[in-house]
Amino acid sequence: MIEIDNVSKWYLDFQVLKGCSTNVAKGEVVIVCGPSGSGKSTLIKCVNGLEPFQKGNITVDGISVGDVKTNLPKLRARVGMVFQHFELFPHMSVLQNLTIGQIKVLGRDEEESRVRAFKLLDRVGLHEFADKFPGNLSGGQQQRVAIARALAMDPIAMLFDEPTSALDPEMINEVLDVMVALAKDGMTMMVVTHEMGFARSVANRVIFMDRGEIVEDAKKDDFFGKPRSERAQLFLSKILHH
Amino acid sequence: MFSDFDWDVILRSLPYLFFDGMRFTLMLTALATAGGIVIGTLLALMRLSSFAPFSIVAGGYVNLMRSMPLVLVIFWIYFLVPYIGQWVTGASRPIQVGALVTCLVTFTIFEAAYFCEIMRAGIQSIPRGQTEAAKAIGMTYWQTMGDVILPQAFRNMIPVLLTQTIVLFQDTSLVYVISVTDFLGAASKIAQRDGRLVEMYLFAAVVYFIVSLGASIMVRRLQRRVAIVR
Ligand SMILES: Nc1ncnc2c1ncn2[C@@H]1O[C@H](COP(=O)(O)OP(=O)(O)OP(=O)(O)O)[C@@H](O)[C@H]1O
Ligand SMILES: [Mg+2]
Repeated sequence: MIEIDNVSKWYLDFQVLKGCSTNVAKGEVVIVCGPSGSGKSTLIKCVNGLEPFQKGNITVDGISVGDVKTNLPKLRARVGMVFQHFELFPHMSVLQNLTIGQIKVLGRDEEESRVRAFKLLDRVGLHEFADKFPGNLSGGQQQRVAIARALAMDPIAMLFDEPTSALDPEMINEVLDVMVALAKDGMTMMVVTHEMGFARSVANRVIFMDRGEIVEDAKKDDFFGKPRSERAQLFLSKILHH
Repeated sequence: MFSDFDWDVILRSLPYLFFDGMRFTLMLTALATAGGIVIGTLLALMRLSSFAPFSIVAGGYVNLMRSMPLVLVIFWIYFLVPYIGQWVTGASRPIQVGALVTCLVTFTIFEAAYFCEIMRAGIQSIPRGQTEAAKAIGMTYWQTMGDVILPQAFRNMIPVLLTQTIVLFQDTSLVYVISVTDFLGAASKIAQRDGRLVEMYLFAAVVYFIVSLGASIMVRRLQRRVAIVR
């Protein structure tokens, strides 16, 4: 579904990504972890073309992201993305947040998109919040709405960039629960997170990044059993002891 | 000393002052604000564009306008517009353009430079994540701007935009240099005709003061209401 092949990216003369290669098969859940500044966000933003890259290749469902001929908006409409800081549209109600993409991008009519929106609000347990504005919701609720907004586009894959790291601890689980359910439903997911409990329960593979490189790309059990690289071992021992 | 004053002259000329003068002033202010915001917003998008020719042209335009005295721009447009009209329409003589059109063109293109800077600040105040979120659901550049970024930027900037409009309201009095009758022009004419300079200019000052102060109090009230809860 997602093939990342030898991707490198520079900010001027600073190399953020160094020949990263990996892939995510249909229905697979892949966790990306690593220290701050290692390039995790940059890598997943390259997947839907939010960040350009200078070398290598990324294809999503067979479509090349880096190709100048690719219609990026069209490709992005098929790949959901959830951000660390939710990024709901604050001037729109929850319902409008869920319908705007369906109406403007997919060309659905208003009624159809409302029905779809309410179905997803039910799924994330926020049906009665449809007419509220994002500013009046808690962080956990906002992130659930953000997941619903992405799902409203009927994506073929979902990208998550630290979806719980801006949340108060007591709200983390309500968001993770939604993500676990999504994973169990067979959604293809690439998730940047340090929630190792989540990784253990739903991940197929774990990727460990450090200084722009993919240092480790292993099956979940191998990764948690005994990571091969020293850096990954060190990282794991640090975050698991928290 | 006030005993020599003829306050009645004000009363007698009220209809002329307001229905002729003030109407023109307000119409010019409103239309130039609307036009200035539209063109200013387009200029702001150009200035923020990563396509260098756009940002250079828009930046140059803004800097040019902002370093010119408004009176000079009024003269330019006043003398140039008839020739531009002739060139555009291919007429054999310079096109006669009405006073309102001349003033409107002048104030719109002049104010656009200021509104551009306001909208640019407004757009830049919206977190980058909003653009990413809009693009991530497949929105094009124009959808992202039109549905997500500009509505928020505009709302955040309403107080500043209105404050600029109050400045514009005062600046419109400069149309006297091309003998257009706005509110101050009307007051001036009465003042000259009846030899009542002090009364009329005092009255004009009071009116400008009340309108501007009233408007800025309203802006301050509005400011508290429009802030978007994040
Ligand atoms: N616009 C930019 N210009 C220059 N450098 C940047 C830019 N954006 C990111 N970087 C740098 O690229 C590197 C990777 O950033 P990235 O955000 O991908 O890291 P990350 O792994 O997601 O970190 P975090 O855990 O803090 O989110 C960092 O060193 C960062 O400083
Ligand atoms: Mg990050």
